[in-house]
Amino acid sequence: MEEMEIVGQIVGGKTAKILIREKSGKKIELGDLLVVEENGALIILQVYDLAYGSQIPQSMRELIAGLKLEGYGTELTFLEPQLRNYVIAEVKAIARVEGNDVRIPKSLPSFFSPLRHVTEKDLSFLTKPPNPVYIGKVRSGSKVLNVDVFLNGVDVFTHHIVIPATTGRGKSNLVKVMLWSILDQPDFGVLVLDPHDEYYGRHGKGLKDHPKAKENLLYYSSTPLAGTNTLIVNLRSIMPWHFQGIVSFTDAQWDAIRRYHNTFHEQWIENIVRGTEINGVAPRTLEVLQRKLDNVLGVYLDDAGNIQCRNRVFSETAGTTTTRDIANALEAGKKVIVDTSKLSDEAELLIGSIVASEIFYRYQSYKSEGKLDEKPVVSIVIEEAPRVLGGDVLASLGENIYSTIAREGRKFKVGLIAITQLISLIPKTILANMNTKIILGNEIAVERRAVIDSAAQDLSEDDRTIASLDKGEAIISSSFTKFAVPVQIPLFEKYIEGSEKKSREEVVFVG
Amino acid sequence: MYKFAHISDCHIGANREPALESLELAAFAKALDICIQEKVDFILITGDLFHANIPDMRAANEAVKKMKEVRDKGIPIYVIYGSHDYSPNQTSMIDILDSAGLIKKIVKGKVVEGKLKLEFFEDPKTKAKLTGISARKVGLEKNYFEILDRETLEKERGFRIFAFHSAVSELKPEFLAEMEAIPVSFLPKGFEYYAGGHIHQYCEAGFPNYERIAYPGTLFAGYPRDFEQSAKGVKRGFLIVYFEDKVKDVRFHEVKVCDYVYFEYDVTNKNSVQARTDLLEKLGKLDVQGKLVIVKVKGELSGGKTSDISASEIRSRLIEKGAINVIVNRYGLTSKEYAAIKVMGEDIQTIENKLLRENIGKVKVSNEELKGEKGAKLASDLLRILRQEQKLSESKKDYTERIQKMAVEILGLEEVFK
Repeated sequence: MEEMEIVGQIVGGKTAKILIREKSGKKIELGDLLVVEENGALIILQVYDLAYGSQIPQSMRELIAGLKLEGYGTELTFLEPQLRNYVIAEVKAIARVEGNDVRIPKSLPSFFSPLRHVTEKDLSFLTKPPNPVYIGKVRSGSKVLNVDVFLNGVDVFTHHIVIPATTGRGKSNLVKVMLWSILDQPDFGVLVLDPHDEYYGRHGKGLKDHPKAKENLLYYSSTPLAGTNTLIVNLRSIMPWHFQGIVSFTDAQWDAIRRYHNTFHEQWIENIVRGTEINGVAPRTLEVLQRKLDNVLGVYLDDAGNIQCRNRVFSETAGTTTTRDIANALEAGKKVIVDTSKLSDEAELLIGSIVASEIFYRYQSYKSEGKLDEKPVVSIVIEEAPRVLGGDVLASLGENIYSTIAREGRKFKVGLIAITQLISLIPKTILANMNTKIILGNEIAVERRAVIDSAAQDLSEDDRTIASLDKGEAIISSSFTKFAVPVQIPLFEKYIEGSEKKSREEVVFVG
Repeated sequence: MYKFAHISDCHIGANREPALESLELAAFAKALDICIQEKVDFILITGDLFHANIPDMRAANEAVKKMKEVRDKGIPIYVIYGSHDYSPNQTSMIDILDSAGLIKKIVKGKVVEGKLKLEFFEDPKTKAKLTGISARKVGLEKNYFEILDRETLEKERGFRIFAFHSAVSELKPEFLAEMEAIPVSFLPKGFEYYAGGHIHQYCEAGFPNYERIAYPGTLFAGYPRDFEQSAKGVKRGFLIVYFEDKVKDVRFHEVKVCDYVYFEYDVTNKNSVQARTDLLEKLGKLDVQGKLVIVKVKGELSGGKTSDISASEIRSRLIEKGAINVIVNRYGLTSKEYAAIKVMGEDIQTIENKLLRENIGKVKVSNEELKGEKGAKLASDLLRILRQEQKLSESKKDYTERIQKMAVEILGLEEVFK
């Protein structure tokens, strides 16, 4: 071992609880990555708890403290205190590295082995995969190493991603960083349903500043900026199944909806709003449906008998191709942000449902036609995911397109990026299908427990580590990583510095 | 109250068949006659007045005579280029007529510090202020919209009309879903009227800040698809806009120059002999006297050649029965025995993309980037680059270098050509 800067030594423990005595003067932190060198291999260990250790009995330590505090012996000290008092770190071995071969350790490192901090060279096996999605840099405790962490986008997007964290821990910053890194990659189409209008960069830096934004980014908003698209969906694009699991209807109301759809096909909503009576639907049911459509879509009949929409997002005349345009863009590997900040929850989820259904069913048919391999992966970013994936929602409203994608999407290259503060509300059967979790700080114990229980790696000892994650610090637990990788996510504004859009070339005008 | 006519997509010279050409000219003449009768204060033609920048001279001559008649009545005609009659060197028929004072091109502006500053043209009588952006080939006018100084235009007071020849995404009809389009937000806000061209079907809608956007559609037909739409009942015509300081009313005036018959025949499960016999028998029963007939034959023959269903035979049979003209659409016709790649599309770009996708499999290459969807997209992107025209101020050498550089970038070969 040449010039190894020892920070501690193994002094006991068992498989998942190895005890390290900290060398005096060295500070071992929660989450630190330590290394034992052994027969040409490296064993990487991670600190998950810290405690005091002392060779002096507790009563003696308390007595000495009392004497000092009460002024009887301010000069009192321990003989060779660095030998008698120390810190014990609890660590677990997370990876055994031999060259580029990384495995889960199946044996303990040698007893009494010295340890050092991990270095960038130790992590040279973390190479850039094909279809890379950037997450950040490897973090050891609070120290950031100059080692980039990428995930293979095709793998992780098809197998869904969950980002659990409480407010202010950097969820949207993370998603912005990820999307920026793939904006010029045609192998993924990503739909972002953005209820806070924070991804495009309406008021500051955002994905619009990417050099390839003009070609690869579409932004739909009910208040579009110059050159961006108006979010307007034609009523005829909306089918009864788009409401499935999103809006609550009674059996009688569903029956009425089916009758209207069978009678008027794509004009079913217009006819309900206009109050066209048909056999088998009671006037009372029709009235309730009118009210519900008014609540969800904001559509009503004005005094002149014209259909109006309060939020102007749904239209009888315009927006005929919006759904198709978005689905085409996703299929072409573009990224589409839909600003739903001015819509109700239900309207937002409905628009997502319309687009997600279009893309999911298209991809289903591509699979049956044998064309799926040529298509890019499509991922859908959904904020506050329990609104559609929550156990109580699924129990009361039934399955919806998002839960269908969560369960079956990977067969058709369609995935979810579910963002949530309350992962505990999502049933385990769905979480089990979501193979990558990017865990940010969370102070709620129940939520941490839910994250730990559904992680791809054993994080049973990481409760404190997760609780202590600062803003921008995260742990990636994925079936596509060999171990749970601690990362530091860069601040989006810092990350994009220097790679923003260049000024355009000169245009000659012909009138 | 003032009023102006909003006409678009006349496509004079598009139809070379004498019968169709005279109908095309009749539609144009009829529209202008209505303008004279209605005593409109001016006429605004929002692109594709002619089918080409140097159109068929016989048809152009007839159209010019009619426009002269209108002009002599004191009705000015304002125009913008469409994607068909655009000329990068300003040497199209539109420019000739503009120079002669018969029509007036209203688009004027220049690029200052990267921003396109447009000027308004004021109609002397009504004081309506007109400006706009002409079309260029394959939707390249988008570049102009990207640098348009909207703010200055929005500050102008008065009755403002913005003329343009581009599809607006939010207003595209479903059958034009694949058409290149601009978002409505590219237009300057708050104008009293947005006069659109390029979409061949009448449509009108309002959005927040863009209260009245209208496309009159084509007057007759620029493409075979237009005939089919007309035969299915789509009305052709133009708009008369009534205004004071705001638009008071917009009325669609139908221009009908003939009756249509639309006949669709599905050959599926029939061989070519059975299908031909059955089709001709059915066509024989149609009343086509004095009508324009559109016959669409589609489906997959169970046997025989698609050429057994002869367009010329169908045409001559129906002409014999008194049809003005017959348009036969066989794009959807295939045969199990003779599979040939045929594609249908609504515009050139769609057809091109479909053809590339369909044919890419036939090209044997080892590089994964050149196969499948990726290969088709690469080919499409490359074509887009190679189609770019030389800029006015650009030397041939600069032009060649620019195109080469862009092509190398598209192909991802920067390292090779470094």
